[in-house]
Amino acid sequence: MTMTIRSLTRGWPLALCMAMPCGAAAADAAAQVPMRDPWVPPAARQAASAASTHGAALNSQVERKLRSSFDAADADHDGSLTLAEARAGGFGMVAEHFERIDTRRSGRVSFEDVKRYLRGRGATTL
Amino acid sequence: MAGQNRRMNKPPGARCRSLIAAALLASLASLALTACGGGGGSSTPPTLGAGEKALDDATVYATGSHDALPAGTTTEAAAITKHSITLKGKALDYTATAGHLVTRDPLSNAPQASFFYVAYTADGASAATRPLTFFYNGGPGSASIWLHLGSFGPKRLATGEPSTSAAKPFPLVDNAETLLDTSDLVFIDAIGTGYSEAIAPNTNQSFWGVDKDAAAFRDFIVRYLAKNARHSSPTFLFGESYGTTRSGVLAHLMETAGVPLKGVVLQSSVMNYGSNCGVTGDDSMSCAGYFPSYGEVGAYYRLTLPAQPDPDSFAAQLRSFTHTSYEPAVSNWLAHHTPPASGLLAQLQDLTGISTALWKTHLNLDPSSFQVDLIPSVLIGRYDARVSAPKGSALAAEGDPSSTFISDEFARTMGGYLRNTLRYTNASTYITLSNAINSWDFRHDGVALPDAIPDLAAAMALNPALKVLSVSGYHDLATPFYQTEKDLARLGANPNIRIEVYNGGHMTYLDDDSRAQEKNDLRSFYQQALAQ
Repeated sequence: MTMTIRSLTRGWPLALCMAMPCGAAAADAAAQVPMRDPWVPPAARQAASAASTHGAALNSQVERKLRSSFDAADADHDGSLTLAEARAGGFGMVAEHFERIDTRRSGRVSFEDVKRYLRGRGATTL
Repeated sequence: MAGQNRRMNKPPGARCRSLIAAALLASLASLALTACGGGGGSSTPPTLGAGEKALDDATVYATGSHDALPAGTTTEAAAITKHSITLKGKALDYTATAGHLVTRDPLSNAPQASFFYVAYTADGASAATRPLTFFYNGGPGSASIWLHLGSFGPKRLATGEPSTSAAKPFPLVDNAETLLDTSDLVFIDAIGTGYSEAIAPNTNQSFWGVDKDAAAFRDFIVRYLAKNARHSSPTFLFGESYGTTRSGVLAHLMETAGVPLKGVVLQSSVMNYGSNCGVTGDDSMSCAGYFPSYGEVGAYYRLTLPAQPDPDSFAAQLRSFTHTSYEPAVSNWLAHHTPPASGLLAQLQDLTGISTALWKTHLNLDPSSFQVDLIPSVLIGRYDARVSAPKGSALAAEGDPSSTFISDEFARTMGGYLRNTLRYTNASTYITLSNAINSWDFRHDGVALPDAIPDLAAAMALNPALKVLSVSGYHDLATPFYQTEKDLARLGANPNIRIEVYNGGHMTYLDDDSRAQEKNDLRSFYQQALAQ
């Protein structure tokens, strides 16, 4: 009995698909149905892949995100950003704060300079 | 096709008024209303006053995955109307702007999409100090209609939930709890929802992914700030459900771009899709994060032993029990098929009303089963489990009576409200929920389903003053409050993060008492964020 209920209810989004068209072919037909957010279509579902990070592992994710923004803006790949590179490369935060990050007044800031500046503002994850 | 044949010189309101003026007969007045597509409105649109402008937008908007507006045809036109609302005896005059802004790629400057938005701005306020809040629902693929017409805008649909006895149509009433007394409000529809659409060579599908969608919202906000000279306004995000996932990713993108936020409001969060067993459908995953919600719902239906009249104190007990007893038992069950002790089963029944027999065979009870199994004859709601309907009834047919009861009314009201009150007219259907979810690219940071906690952490590293307010409903079986608390706990003890839980479901603001509480908490949250 409970197995029947379970399989039925587990599949209720599929039951919804039977009640009204689903899938790419029914793009507009599926409009105006009740919201089911959050929901993931079966094809995109995966076994829980990554463990929820916290502490040092989460901090390293944060650092990777910042590093990725830094590297994306580092047009000449010299490991530092000029004001122009930061502005043109989408790292507007560095551009906005450039003079305060560039404490040596060298016209270039390193990734460590950026981290040091953010720590000084109160960032606890860097 | 799109953008052609604009009839700016003949707004429909003007046409209606001339009809009525010529006829001066009640019977013809009602005919004119029909001809104007009166929809949710109940009266003929009033004459436009100084500074007001109706817009008859002839562009046809489409929300299919392959749809796009032809390049070079989009404009940033908007309807502008003046309104007033009385809050605590004091008149607040405001301007509503309903129309489109075109987003551009920040690096290439190429047009990307035409976003539909409705902005409510207080008249006479200083842009430098007046806060600005950007609202969006989730889905993904949902227009922002639920927050727009249900939560803290100047008007709200009075649904009466959790009761399902309210007569329809629901009245659209002045909202005594509007956030407009604190902040200007901008409701944004995601690309491929409402009247928002990609611009060729992009298609709507180009933006149907976690990263592309968040970048498009960033570009919309940047455009809104530039167009309205609001760069110095304190800026907040307010997302719901998938909109909280978007907020995590978007907050990181905003802070990276150097457009800092003051605060982020997370309404009924799913910050990590990988931690919500009701979303992944993964039988090997623990549903323990739902257990305190099961208890609160059981208490609402008076199925717990003893009765639990105070949701807040019961929540404390449920959190503690889940952490110390239930979660470890579920872990052992999933890993080793260790059967639960009979003492534990009795506790589970007392705390939820679900029988020991069901707990014995389904220790890792999923929320869909809970909706069906709690009470034999009825299906309880997913968004608001306090709403129930007999199994087999029309309200239960779509799997969530709380959603089915209100969905049509929101969709029906929007068209008439846009036409008659905001004076924005478009022949296309305003799509409240597109099919985006079925072809959405959920990948983010190299994993299949998005985890936006690292993004929020990165935003808070880039802007250590950033404040976060998380709000949840005790009776929400879509984004359970305890799981949200666990997800946010990953960020560590942080005085910038505040968590509130109210009676109610996913849309806590539909509950009249909870909306008032939430409004008070929002006001103090904004005050704290602005004090720095």
